[in-house]
Amino acid sequence: MEDQVVVYRKRRGTEAVLMLFSVLICVAAYILIHLDMDNEIPQQWPWALGIGLGLAVIVHVIVRVRLPYADPLILPLVFLLNGLGVAMIHRLDLGTNPVMHSAELQLVWTGIAVAVFVLVLVFLPDYEVLNRFPYLLFLLGMFLLLMPMLPGIGQEKFGARIWIGVTIGGSTYSFQPAELAKIVLVIAFAAYLVEKKDVLAAAGTKVLGIEIPRVRDLGPILLMWLASLAVLVFQKDLGTSLLFFGLFVMMLYVATGQAGYPILGVFLFAGGAYAGYLFFGHVQARVDAWLNPFKDFDTNYQVIVGQFGMAYGGATGTGWGLGRPNMTPLAKTDFIVAAFGEELGVAGLAAIILIYAILVARGLRAALGIQEPFGKLLAAGLSFVFAIQVFTIIGGVTRLLPLTGLTTPFLSQGGSSLVANWAMTAILLVVTHYARRPMQVRSRQRVRSLAMDETQQIPRAAL
Amino acid sequence: MSELVVVGLKLGFLAALWLAILFTAGAIRTDIFGRKISTSELAAAGGADPYSRKAIKAAKKLPNKLKIPHGPQAGTTVGLGSPIIIGRSEDCQLVLNDDYVSTHHARISRAEGYDVIEDLGSTNGTFVNNQRITVPTQIGLGDSIRIGQSTMVLEK
Repeated sequence: MEDQVVVYRKRRGTEAVLMLFSVLICVAAYILIHLDMDNEIPQQWPWALGIGLGLAVIVHVIVRVRLPYADPLILPLVFLLNGLGVAMIHRLDLGTNPVMHSAELQLVWTGIAVAVFVLVLVFLPDYEVLNRFPYLLFLLGMFLLLMPMLPGIGQEKFGARIWIGVTIGGSTYSFQPAELAKIVLVIAFAAYLVEKKDVLAAAGTKVLGIEIPRVRDLGPILLMWLASLAVLVFQKDLGTSLLFFGLFVMMLYVATGQAGYPILGVFLFAGGAYAGYLFFGHVQARVDAWLNPFKDFDTNYQVIVGQFGMAYGGATGTGWGLGRPNMTPLAKTDFIVAAFGEELGVAGLAAIILIYAILVARGLRAALGIQEPFGKLLAAGLSFVFAIQVFTIIGGVTRLLPLTGLTTPFLSQGGSSLVANWAMTAILLVVTHYARRPMQVRSRQRVRSLAMDETQQIPRAAL
Repeated sequence: MSELVVVGLKLGFLAALWLAILFTAGAIRTDIFGRKISTSELAAAGGADPYSRKAIKAAKKLPNKLKIPHGPQAGTTVGLGSPIIIGRSEDCQLVLNDDYVSTHHARISRAEGYDVIEDLGSTNGTFVNNQRITVPTQIGLGDSIRIGQSTMVLEK
């Protein structure tokens, strides 16, 4: 009888169809915006369709060539989110007087992000190479994370010091180094935990039926806690602080399976955040805006208008272009979710949240499927970055949590975020490719031929 | 545009968005169980590593069992594939309790596309098809091996 193996289908065809569907939805959004706002079909719609399809073809071909077994769902979902984001930014552009052109810029950044995606796929044939320098990457990530605190290049915008500005030839280019730090630190954490997971998983004393890690193993979590507190205090950014600490704790839990770590992490973060609330004005302001926004209309204007917008949208929204999302300050970045809630309603917002959920689930699926620990941790970590980010920012806008200044992945305006998220998608796809490759092909090992070791007979005449 | 058309387009867009999610869910559903294929099909489909493809194809023609029809332990069978050492010592993969067998007597290992038996400097020698071997020797289906009082054959 022949041996049977179970393999994943490659499903590149499914991916192509879904990607086409994503592009069509985004172009439909673009046409609807103009139909609703100007009462006519926009002249440039073939261009929008062409750009969308062009990018889709590029991405599809490179994945088909480089990662034939990659997950078929991640890319179409990313495409859909990115396209919806550009559409909404375009709609918000039209709402301003005079009309702005930030959607075109966002489209250019999407092009750059896709180029970065292609570069990662071309130059990263195997994610194992990332496993080499955990400590160096950790230092680099920490440097990037804390970079905005440096005097001179660090900039404070909208109350948070998470930007750095570089002045070249009179114009200032600014970006958020934390976006890059996300990728670097996920890789560093994964590589570090692969090496140390057995030590860190050693059982300590049991308290209330939960194993608390040994005191000497608490070094890493305390270090990350202090770093996240530094971000909270000096950069005044609750979101970034929560993102990196939460990421580390979750990866620690995945690596060790010790429930003591996340429990300890929650207490540590709650303690730190409470101390921050007691001693720092900016944290107090955020908490007040969360619990009692209507007490102070002027300070909490953004949160309140965002809420009103979503309430105005209701179940099915006002329709593209028919709401007034422009009233919310920073509607293109922090509050883009509120704009979607207003114009697409709960139905649309739930769809968007579900898309993120599927994206994260596919990443975790790859983490479950892959055999080898570094890939597992990398896939889980990348998924967690998306999950924590979406949870924190959408939770903040909908007032489930205090508002934080995190970007909404793929949706919100901003080049550094877009490029970083596409690069993360590329690394995630590389991992899924290895997770879904047929097992038999992977596990067979090279056996050297013994015939090669055969003793040679050298004729006497030759000597 | 009339109010009705606007509402229709709005709902149509939301329906398309949810349809995309339903398609995705459908793709996830069909993805859960994967597809059963035989190893030869897998080889034909081609993995990422051409070496492995060849190895799998070749592996199909190789014997996968070593059986002892005659001797003190007649009826014993061991699997082939990973290297096995035959001898009297407990750490051998095939232990023969026979005074005519050395502690580590012989080794059978798989090279690229065939199996090789090698005598590990035994006292009484290893015989393939009744010929004492002095160098690693290629063996295949139907070959008989004699070590001490035991005779072994390769089977599939």
